Amino acid sequence: MDPFHQRIRRAISDEHLQEALDGNARRRVEARVTAFGSLPDWPERRQRAHAVRADVIENLDSYLEQFIHNAQNNGITIHRAKDAAEAVKIILDLVGAGGRPPLQKLIAKSKSMISEELDLNPALEAAGHRVVETDLGEYIVQLRGERPSHIITPAVHLRRSDVGQLFHDKLGIPYTEDVPTLTNTARKVLREVFLTADVGLSGVNFGVAETGGICLVTNEGNGRMVTTLPRTHIALMGMERLVPTLDDLALMLTLLPRSATGQKLSVYTQLIHKPLDGQQRHIVILDNGRSRLRASPLRESLYCIRCGSCLNACPVFRELGGHAYGAVYSGPIGSVISAGLFGSEFAPLAQASSLCGACKDACPVDIDLPKLLTRVRAGQADVERKEGQGLATPLKAGLQAFSLAARDPRLFAASQKLAALGTNLVSPASPWMHLPAATGWGYSKDFPKFAIKPFRERFIRQAAERAELKTTPQESPSKVHTSAVQRDCVQQFTEELNAVGGHILLTQDATASIIDFLHARNVDRIHLEPNTLDESALAAAGFTVAHAPDPSIRVGVTKALRGLADTGSVLVVDGDGHPLEASLLPEVHLVVLRKSDILPSLEDAIHLLRESRSAVVITGPSRTGDIEMTLTIGVHGPGEVHVFLTK
Amino acid sequence: MPTVQLFVTCLIDSFYPHVGEAVVDVLRRLGVDVDFPRDQTCCGQPNFNAGLREEAKPIAQHTIRTFEAVDGDVVIPSGSCAHMLRHNYAELFADDPHWLPRAKALASRTYEFTEYLVDKLGVTDVGARWDGPLTYHATCHLHRGVGVDRQPRTLLAHVRGAEVRPLPEEYDCCGFGGIFSVEHPELSAEFLKRKIRNLESTQSPTLVVADTGCLMHIAGGLHRQQKTQRVIHIAELLNNI
Repeated sequence: MDPFHQRIRRAISDEHLQEALDGNARRRVEARVTAFGSLPDWPERRQRAHAVRADVIENLDSYLEQFIHNAQNNGITIHRAKDAAEAVKIILDLVGAGGRPPLQKLIAKSKSMISEELDLNPALEAAGHRVVETDLGEYIVQLRGERPSHIITPAVHLRRSDVGQLFHDKLGIPYTEDVPTLTNTARKVLREVFLTADVGLSGVNFGVAETGGICLVTNEGNGRMVTTLPRTHIALMGMERLVPTLDDLALMLTLLPRSATGQKLSVYTQLIHKPLDGQQRHIVILDNGRSRLRASPLRESLYCIRCGSCLNACPVFRELGGHAYGAVYSGPIGSVISAGLFGSEFAPLAQASSLCGACKDACPVDIDLPKLLTRVRAGQADVERKEGQGLATPLKAGLQAFSLAARDPRLFAASQKLAALGTNLVSPASPWMHLPAATGWGYSKDFPKFAIKPFRERFIRQAAERAELKTTPQESPSKVHTSAVQRDCVQQFTEELNAVGGHILLTQDATASIIDFLHARNVDRIHLEPNTLDESALAAAGFTVAHAPDPSIRVGVTKALRGLADTGSVLVVDGDGHPLEASLLPEVHLVVLRKSDILPSLEDAIHLLRESRSAVVITGPSRTGDIEMTLTIGVHGPGEVHVFLTK
Repeated sequence: MPTVQLFVTCLIDSFYPHVGEAVVDVLRRLGVDVDFPRDQTCCGQPNFNAGLREEAKPIAQHTIRTFEAVDGDVVIPSGSCAHMLRHNYAELFADDPHWLPRAKALASRTYEFTEYLVDKLGVTDVGARWDGPLTYHATCHLHRGVGVDRQPRTLLAHVRGAEVRPLPEEYDCCGFGGIFSVEHPELSAEFLKRKIRNLESTQSPTLVVADTGCLMHIAGGLHRQQKTQRVIHIAELLNNI
């Protein structure tokens, strides 16, 4: 048996894995359906998103040029790598340059599938550096010495007991299955890493050509940490990962989180345009087979925005999980691009599909994955175009013979008769045949006998009965009159913020309300964004105010540039007094927002972020679902978000 | 009265001729003249799906020629084969200026059976009856491939006496997938197990499908597991008067 089939059997017989995967499929699919319920025009958005991505891939060279030009003008250093080896060399050079002796550096890394493509961690470690994955799921698989098994939920294959045992073995804590305790343990360990790391490594969800900015979407806060705290930030980006404009980005952001995790917006949507004070930012743009893929009939697969919803919808992924694919990218999209990016040894993955089309239905940019799978099967990932790639030899021979018969009606009819006689000999008494498992079909089902008299011999030409055609009038689908109820933005903002676990307080005087809050919490020191509260009143009330990050401070207070009604989000932008850190490092984030600054949605606000060095859209407290998809609040970012809404 | 050309599909022709007869009976009862071009064989989907496109092409060309020779709409009692003609022929001949327009012309006059009844004839009640519970499995290429889902459900809803019970996870693949069921027996078996479990949970003795590939697959699994449920094609149900 070939290794792929062996891995398939192993995955299927692993009961724990099956349980984890069933849970993932059910919950993710439900969450996705619910999330799209709040976006009635999503089919139309999906087609627009498809068109945007098609345009980007069609005109990739000019969009890349525009993106690079703008990013460089913003003070970001751009590096281009044609393959994995080149990218690794660039990153090693960046990491190794400057900094403190000895040469070993601490690298805090947030999720990046590109880094998996590069096999980056072993390369960095071989050079003497220490790399720590900081996404909870990635951290868990790193401790286990594994690869992520899902592009969004890396530890989807594990149960809480596995994580409990792992943390007991590797981190020396008492064994526990309590997810908040496990999460908190990782938070403590990783907090040290964030604060001392020399380099932050991240991926990129989207690059925006017109601004040269990059967008990162995360939930836990680790992505914000690694892009904000270390002196050097290196972002790894696939060359196809662009959108032309901020409007296009806003469109994508309505689809990506809903598809990936069933959220209207992820907790943190960052827009990064420039380096922060004293910081170096680099973007490494990777080709690694993408140009070849773009020139092939698999081009449409480059439209992918890596949401993972095709994995969640796929019945094959539901049986296998990610590891059995034996490739960096798994699921339907992985079965298409692996052969295209990494070579035809991955072509057999595409045979492992019933072409049921659930992936296409789930895709937020409407990639025709079943069609692409058949193209891989037809050898189109390869220049050589070897048809039937990955197909077992006897099957290929059988289908070749079938093709000869099916183009000749007389041969076809004769074969039918012969088959009927044959199957009748094999199984004279029953309408069924019990085939051996080795035939494939016989593994789990019986096969029907051929009819002795096929339809073609039974059909008799005759006129139809001239009965009156009973036509019942077509039920016209009742028009849904959703008279656009213009809901009050403040009301909607409040509901959405509560739904994501945030709190809201209406106040005439933000300083007084926050003083009350701090008294109740027994807090006397805060990290405050300047010009947010009345600092003399705070001083008079006995509070110490810091305008710089300090990991021992428990409460951070910032302004919000805007609020977003449809997601309950607040926009925090970089400025004096380190508001990005104030909204990230402390356990509690207090936000001062003016009622009149609440806008309907991100699409109305995204242009305001154009001029910022770096900005983040915060949607509730930091969270993770990386352990058995159990929602845990407060990973790396604040566990509480309180909005003080003023006139 | 319209004349339609029946493309009966190789599975019905070879294994389930009575389903073909049910299709003919239902259509004739509704006043439609049914003809059966005798040169027809298979649509070529097994080879196409396996990636053997060069071998799928002559089969597709044979099918196009066979139906070009006759007039009227082409009716196919299979979502999967209808999907092949309607979408995959265009993919197969995408770079072939001679065959592409001919493939598209055939696609434009091709209907899946329930789609033809409901959308083309405007019939929702064919006068069928059925005693007792049944459940319906939406086959993948029917509802996702050709986008036909409302039509079979409308027809089912009008069958007198039938109690249509919802099938849990009704849109999940049964694991047939043509060559997939042979090439990946382990995966196929898992899909099938789940489908049969869901069927059992409805306590319905009858499962209705509109695709004989899926019918053959699910029925074969039920027989192997010595279950008593029956799988029937929707034409058999609609022909039960």
